[in-house]
Amino acid sequence: MAFIQVLISGIAVGCIYGLVALSFVLIYKATETISFMQGELLMLGAFTALALNAGAGWPIGWAALAAVALMTLLGATLERGVLRRAIGQPHLTALLLTFGLGMILRGAVTAVPAASQTLHRLPLPFSEQPLVLGALVIATEHVAVIVATLLLAGLLTLFFQYTRTGLALRACSEDARIAALMGISVPAMHTLAWALGAGLAACAGLLLAPVTFVQVNMGLIALKAFPAAVLGGMTSLPGALLAGVFLGVAEAVAGLVLPEGVKDVVPYLLLMVALLLFPGGLASGLRRLRS
Amino acid sequence: MSVATTGARTLTPALAGVLVAVAALAMGAFGSAHLLGQVAFVATYAIAGLGVILIVGQCGQISLGQGGLLAIGAYVQTVLCLRGWPPLAALPLALAAGAAGGWLASLPARRLGGLYFGMSTLAFALIIEEVLVRWETVTRGSAGLTVPTFGVGEWSATSAGGQALVSVIALAAALWCCWRLRKSRVGRAWQAVRDDEWAASACGIEVMTAKTQVFVVGGALSGLAGALYAHWIGFVSPEQFGLQLSFELLILAFMGGVYALSGAIWGAIVIVAVPQLISLIRDHLPAGVANAAGFDAMALGVVIVVVILFRPEGIAGRRR
Repeated sequence: MAFIQVLISGIAVGCIYGLVALSFVLIYKATETISFMQGELLMLGAFTALALNAGAGWPIGWAALAAVALMTLLGATLERGVLRRAIGQPHLTALLLTFGLGMILRGAVTAVPAASQTLHRLPLPFSEQPLVLGALVIATEHVAVIVATLLLAGLLTLFFQYTRTGLALRACSEDARIAALMGISVPAMHTLAWALGAGLAACAGLLLAPVTFVQVNMGLIALKAFPAAVLGGMTSLPGALLAGVFLGVAEAVAGLVLPEGVKDVVPYLLLMVALLLFPGGLASGLRRLRS
Repeated sequence: MSVATTGARTLTPALAGVLVAVAALAMGAFGSAHLLGQVAFVATYAIAGLGVILIVGQCGQISLGQGGLLAIGAYVQTVLCLRGWPPLAALPLALAAGAAGGWLASLPARRLGGLYFGMSTLAFALIIEEVLVRWETVTRGSAGLTVPTFGVGEWSATSAGGQALVSVIALAAALWCCWRLRKSRVGRAWQAVRDDEWAASACGIEVMTAKTQVFVVGGALSGLAGALYAHWIGFVSPEQFGLQLSFELLILAFMGGVYALSGAIWGAIVIVAVPQLISLIRDHLPAGVANAAGFDAMALGVVIVVVILFRPEGIAGRRR
């Protein structure tokens, strides 16, 4: 029973890793940029919801929606204003730009005394009673995270499979030049990818808020998104999500059976092993083993 | 471009940089100890920056984990000195440990290259940080270790002037080695890999070996810089060598210019000077406007973004 409980909390945390990895891979595929500010976007998303809820007195549902919408807008603005200028430069230029932007965002939040000095709790409607199934006790926020992730993944699938814009974004990730020849506006797709990436990060921030607290350093969780993205093969959206869940579970199990402290390095050790043995990601590695 | 002319062109500013450092040293001998302390830090950062410049600028690869390599050098040096080794004898071991770290960090991604090196070195640095926190019997965890002063025989570098002298000598030696290496078969192989991997391998260059070599040399430079840094700060703890330092070094290389060795010196001057300028500006702001730590991070972020947007080739100049 204890094992199943650990498993479920691992899946829930893994879902958040997966969402951040998803936002990261979405941006990487469309723009070939590694974004080092997903953690900051996540943190800012949670703080925006908090400010609208506790500061402006909005109901939590509207505050959360508005926070995601605002972060989407911020992602688009940053692409238009700053990141677009790095197109055509080496990979590292855009990477350092995102790091610089992340520093500005983190600094801006830290500079607000009310935000940086205390831990905050986002009053989401599900954090009172744990769910009891027989002998199983499951935290409601974990279930909420898993359900919300499934919902978001479903929405994204619908968007990518059944809308013209989704198709255009996929075409752009496949081959930007040919997509441009087909009449797709590649710059617009770049803006869309950054907007979606920022929005997804904000969603992850809202889901993370009940698990940890809303605080300046909550963005550190985004570092776990890199191993998830690599394990997923860097360019696969479902791969990133699944690898995130896998990492969450692996971490939880490692925390149970391995000595203390090993848990925190498990994702990175897995990353190095995966690069060494399955450079194309776990999915392609499995395929290769089978054939 | 011919190798000989670029070598000469970039050596001149490199020499000029060393001369500036030496001049500052001479001036500082009559002036404040503060300036000399800054010279020691600039020179030490420049050595670490050289490692990044070789990896990024000469070979076209990415390292996001230089901080971890510096940590290896710093901790090897500190632990050996605490066990009674003379600092000068420990230094080669710190260097070798850094080189071994560079090899290990780049090993998983050596077939894939580019961004994957970024991932593997990042993971490596995060693992190192965690190991340093947890391996308490040797590193005393987050509490950190006090580092003995650097010394050779009877003489020990307790004054800022002595520290600056040692750093500048080490930097000059590192610059000379890098300059020689750049003109050698190995260095030309790196540049060929940077410019076109396929063409390089068609010319008989072992691309994978070249990439591994650059990470080993970059790691050795980081190990040296880490060891000196530990001596000058006098105290090591794992969080000094986190992601922030890795990115500071990348930004150093980018601000200075990755295509010239002298970029390391310019970048080091900027990266040591900018936070101090920012705190000067902050002191003149009315109190209570902003939280100090947040303001510093924000201002540094703005400087980074502005420099990368408006002068992506760095201070030391263009590639060709």
